[in-house]
Amino acid sequence: MTPTVSASGLSLRYGGTRALDDVSLRLSAGVTGLLGPNGAGKTTLLRVLATAVPADRGAFTVLGHDPGTSRGRQEVRRHLGYLPQTPGFHPDFTPFEFVDYVAILKELTDRAARHREVRRVLDEAGLDGVRGKRIRKLSGGMRQRVALAAALVGDPAFLVLDEPTVGLDPEQRMRFRELIARAGEGRTVLLSTHQTEDVAMLCHRVVVLAGGTVRFDGTPAELTARAAGRVWSSAERDPGAKAGWRTGLGTFRNVGDPPVGADLLEPTLEDGYLLTLDGLDGVDTEVAA
Amino acid sequence: MTYGTTGGTSGGGTGWHVSEEDLRAYARGGLPAPLLWSADAHLTACAHCRAVLADVSDPAALDAGWERLDAELDAPRPGFLESLLLRLGIADHTARLLAATPALRLSWLGAVAAVLLLTVAVTLGRGATGSPTLFLALAPLLPLAGVALSYGPVLDPTYEMAVVAPMHGFRLLMIRTVAVLGAGLGLNGLATLALPGYGLRALAWLLPALALTATGLALTARLGPVLAPSLVGGGWIALLLTADAARTGGEGPLAPFTAAGQGVSAAVAVLAAGLLVLLRDRFDLSGRRTA
Repeated sequence: MTPTVSASGLSLRYGGTRALDDVSLRLSAGVTGLLGPNGAGKTTLLRVLATAVPADRGAFTVLGHDPGTSRGRQEVRRHLGYLPQTPGFHPDFTPFEFVDYVAILKELTDRAARHREVRRVLDEAGLDGVRGKRIRKLSGGMRQRVALAAALVGDPAFLVLDEPTVGLDPEQRMRFRELIARAGEGRTVLLSTHQTEDVAMLCHRVVVLAGGTVRFDGTPAELTARAAGRVWSSAERDPGAKAGWRTGLGTFRNVGDPPVGADLLEPTLEDGYLLTLDGLDGVDTEVAA
Repeated sequence: MTYGTTGGTSGGGTGWHVSEEDLRAYARGGLPAPLLWSADAHLTACAHCRAVLADVSDPAALDAGWERLDAELDAPRPGFLESLLLRLGIADHTARLLAATPALRLSWLGAVAAVLLLTVAVTLGRGATGSPTLFLALAPLLPLAGVALSYGPVLDPTYEMAVVAPMHGFRLLMIRTVAVLGAGLGLNGLATLALPGYGLRALAWLLPALALTATGLALTARLGPVLAPSLVGGGWIALLLTADAARTGGEGPLAPFTAAGQGVSAAVAVLAAGLLVLLRDRFDLSGRRTA
């Protein structure tokens, strides 16, 4: 299958910090999760792929268009939906007005066609009941939906979502996951997140980024399998474990290299993620008991 | 829109009606705005016109019309600024872009008007002699500040979404700049009319205003939307203080407000505008920030 996004050797420095270092990726239809600790370079990678900032080195294409040129960048943007980490709104606008504003930026100038599209994406984001309410009166979850609706204008082939579930309560998070799953049908979605549950529930593929480089690229099952035979239960925290924490049952769940005869547990995606990050500079996998 | 001859008000199908000719154009999707919007509004209340529309339409076009009408009913009424811009003949999509411009909000325009009123009052209080220096010094800074407040990652909450949209960042910048500059120069112009005793001397802010705004924008491409206008504004004040110190006698106009100074302002405005056009692609990418 021809990938929607093909990136090779992307590198970017901010002052003395290497935010991205030789990142290569190929993204196809479906939801790909981008996991990584704070400062891993996730947002930087998303901003590069969303054409907000250019990379110092390397190149990428979206549907064959090269954003390195002005014309190519415009073509990429015509196929792009972007939900930034902290989406800003004009608080006096209603969801309809705000999405209409974004639709104009996306070159939908015909009023009737634009309004039809605004209505479609507001419905898709589950905002049909509040489209006339001022954004400043909406909850955080509803505002995130408005931002998602704006990203969906024009039915983009490539959707970039930067930590869209941060700050949402569990119910809102679940509803937002449903929206992302729907948005991922037939589209290429790159979803940056801190939540391994997001990846487990939504993604057919996961990329782990740390220190600006790709540490893992595969399926969630493959990431989980990295922890096979390396998760065990004990009555006290095992000092030899890379990470360990008390569970609701009162026992400790340990991740690392188990002692002989340990009571092995079924690994989760989070266990595989922690072990992938283990030993990397600047990454703390210690979990308090 | 043309109507039938029965007169009266619309609604309920008993008053005037949209002409058949307009309804045919409506059905074809060929009725231009604002006639289109009027027809949309009238059709919601007039069964007679809906029946005529059904007769003159093919079913597919009629469905499309209803869909469009349905979408229109969802669209909120435009706010004061947007309505004003629409009445002035601005296209609805441009009006919406301008409605999202911070420096076109009533709060900002009101603050500018208050500053100008105060300045004019102080100037008038001193009597119409010499040069209205305080007014001339302040007036060029207001359009500069207004334009600076119109675009950029710090001041535009939707900047990050706007910068990755297909519309070129420079085009959006220019749409907003022209509107903000127009509003700012208009307010300055009204303030100038309040100082008739100074004659044309009270207009000596205009060329410096254009020079400062163009220079501020051109430097924004390299220095960002906060530092650039701040430096330009600071430079203007420093220039005036220097000119004041160098002025002999203390009563004549400061150097920037003399004929030679006006010529320099015009040259700077043209050069900065040229530089701005050369650097236009820089407005198509976001400023870097760590993340």
